Amino acid sequence: MTLTSATFTYEDYPHALEAYYEAGYTDGLPVVPPTVEAVEAMLAAAGLRGPEVLGEVPTRNVSVTAEKTAVNAVMAGCLPEYFPVVVASVRALLQPLANCHSTTATLAGAAHALIVNGPVREQLGIVSGQACMGPGFRANATIGRAFRLVIRNVCRTVPGVLDRATFSWPLRYSFCFGENEESSDWTPLHVVHGYGRDDSVVTVMSVHELLKAGELSPESEVILETISQTARLRGLPVDSFVGDARGVVVVIGVEHQRRLLDDRWTKEAVQQRLFERMTRPTAGKYDSQVVLAAPANVLVVAAGGPGIAESEVMLPHLAAPTHQKL
Amino acid sequence: MPLITLEPTNGPFGSNAPAIPVAPRPATLAGQTLGIVANGLGVSETMFDALAEQLTKWDDLAGIVKVVKPSVAVPPWPEQWAEITGRATVAVTGFGGCGSCSTRSMRDALDLEAAGIPAVCIVHIALVPAVQALCKLVGAPDYPFVVVEYPYNPTGGWSVDECNAMAAQVVDRVRLRLTA
Repeated sequence: MTLTSATFTYEDYPHALEAYYEAGYTDGLPVVPPTVEAVEAMLAAAGLRGPEVLGEVPTRNVSVTAEKTAVNAVMAGCLPEYFPVVVASVRALLQPLANCHSTTATLAGAAHALIVNGPVREQLGIVSGQACMGPGFRANATIGRAFRLVIRNVCRTVPGVLDRATFSWPLRYSFCFGENEESSDWTPLHVVHGYGRDDSVVTVMSVHELLKAGELSPESEVILETISQTARLRGLPVDSFVGDARGVVVVIGVEHQRRLLDDRWTKEAVQQRLFERMTRPTAGKYDSQVVLAAPANVLVVAAGGPGIAESEVMLPHLAAPTHQKL
Repeated sequence: MPLITLEPTNGPFGSNAPAIPVAPRPATLAGQTLGIVANGLGVSETMFDALAEQLTKWDDLAGIVKVVKPSVAVPPWPEQWAEITGRATVAVTGFGGCGSCSTRSMRDALDLEAAGIPAVCIVHIALVPAVQALCKLVGAPDYPFVVVEYPYNPTGGWSVDECNAMAAQVVDRVRLRLTA
């Protein structure tokens, strides 16, 4: 396999690491040295040639190739078998409606959630249960980090330069988790959006707000009202570019899902009820309409561990959730 | 044993970008049609309207054509682009007051230049490093722009009086940038 990236030669790993820090290639954490052999192993695992273009950021004249994505995946600590998920994530980000330039350069500092569905979760150990949004899981952590390093190094989104985030966000280090498809008979997210159950799919969701919806009531209707009201604290305005593709993600926690299942709520029924409540006209200050085109634009995902009865609401930046099959 | 590693970027910042041509300027704005490519940030459209009014008053413009893009940090719709490039002979873009909209509005100006239309992007001082970086990245490292300074908020929560004052602040520099 012929790689075209420029090469650097160092005395040893510590010197290489310092040079990568100096060049601004890292997210502030140490990186794995991207050797030719390691990058080739990544590409082989995905069956890709280095020059293949995964997508572009037209505003910046940036093309993202498989080779550069592989280099950054090695740096992030990915195993080669993780690479197809990284590739799918990058392809999803570079779909026009994901609005990569906007979501990565914004003052608002939006993050991106990578939500993984399908058999690849089990094959790679992508965690969807207890603490799935946080640190401690190799696949979740390194896939999410690879995605961010591509944004930084290939898409040129460096803080203080093209990344204008006022505060930025810890979720920008890494934010990848799976849907817990096994916790119920709810239709998995990717199947809702037209993929087969045996497909493995990544959904990329820009996250402008991540809001916790805690509700201890055993009543399903109360739980769904609390989730809706949580989204309505911030609302979601109309954006002509994103149009009817605009969506929100609601990650239903285990305790809430248990109540909903006890009351025989299907995922589709949950979507319908949340849609009805989120799209109600505004009732005043601190109650903003979430403008959505259809119930399917409420992306309901089951995840998390047992304990506190809570769910998570993700409101987007100026982008739509996008899906990419591996 | 030496360690050989690969570069994770597409090369030094801006090193691969072919130069973007800058359109020839008219001697004056008299008889020119001013295009406005507004990104819709905050109430910036009001500022652009005030700017157009002032230019019309003093420069004997032939006309104004304005488009408001579908989102702050995306290109105009194709039909908007066709309208601007089909009618405008000089153009302003902006308002560059947020992270992604400032750089996208700069790109709009550069795209207009490449289409042969003299343009200028109006940018808040808080976003100058971003637009300078974008210019360098895409092949226009020394492309000038017009800067709005504080006390005006970058993201556009201005009163009508402030919009008028901002337009007055930049009008001479806009005129200078669009003419030879």
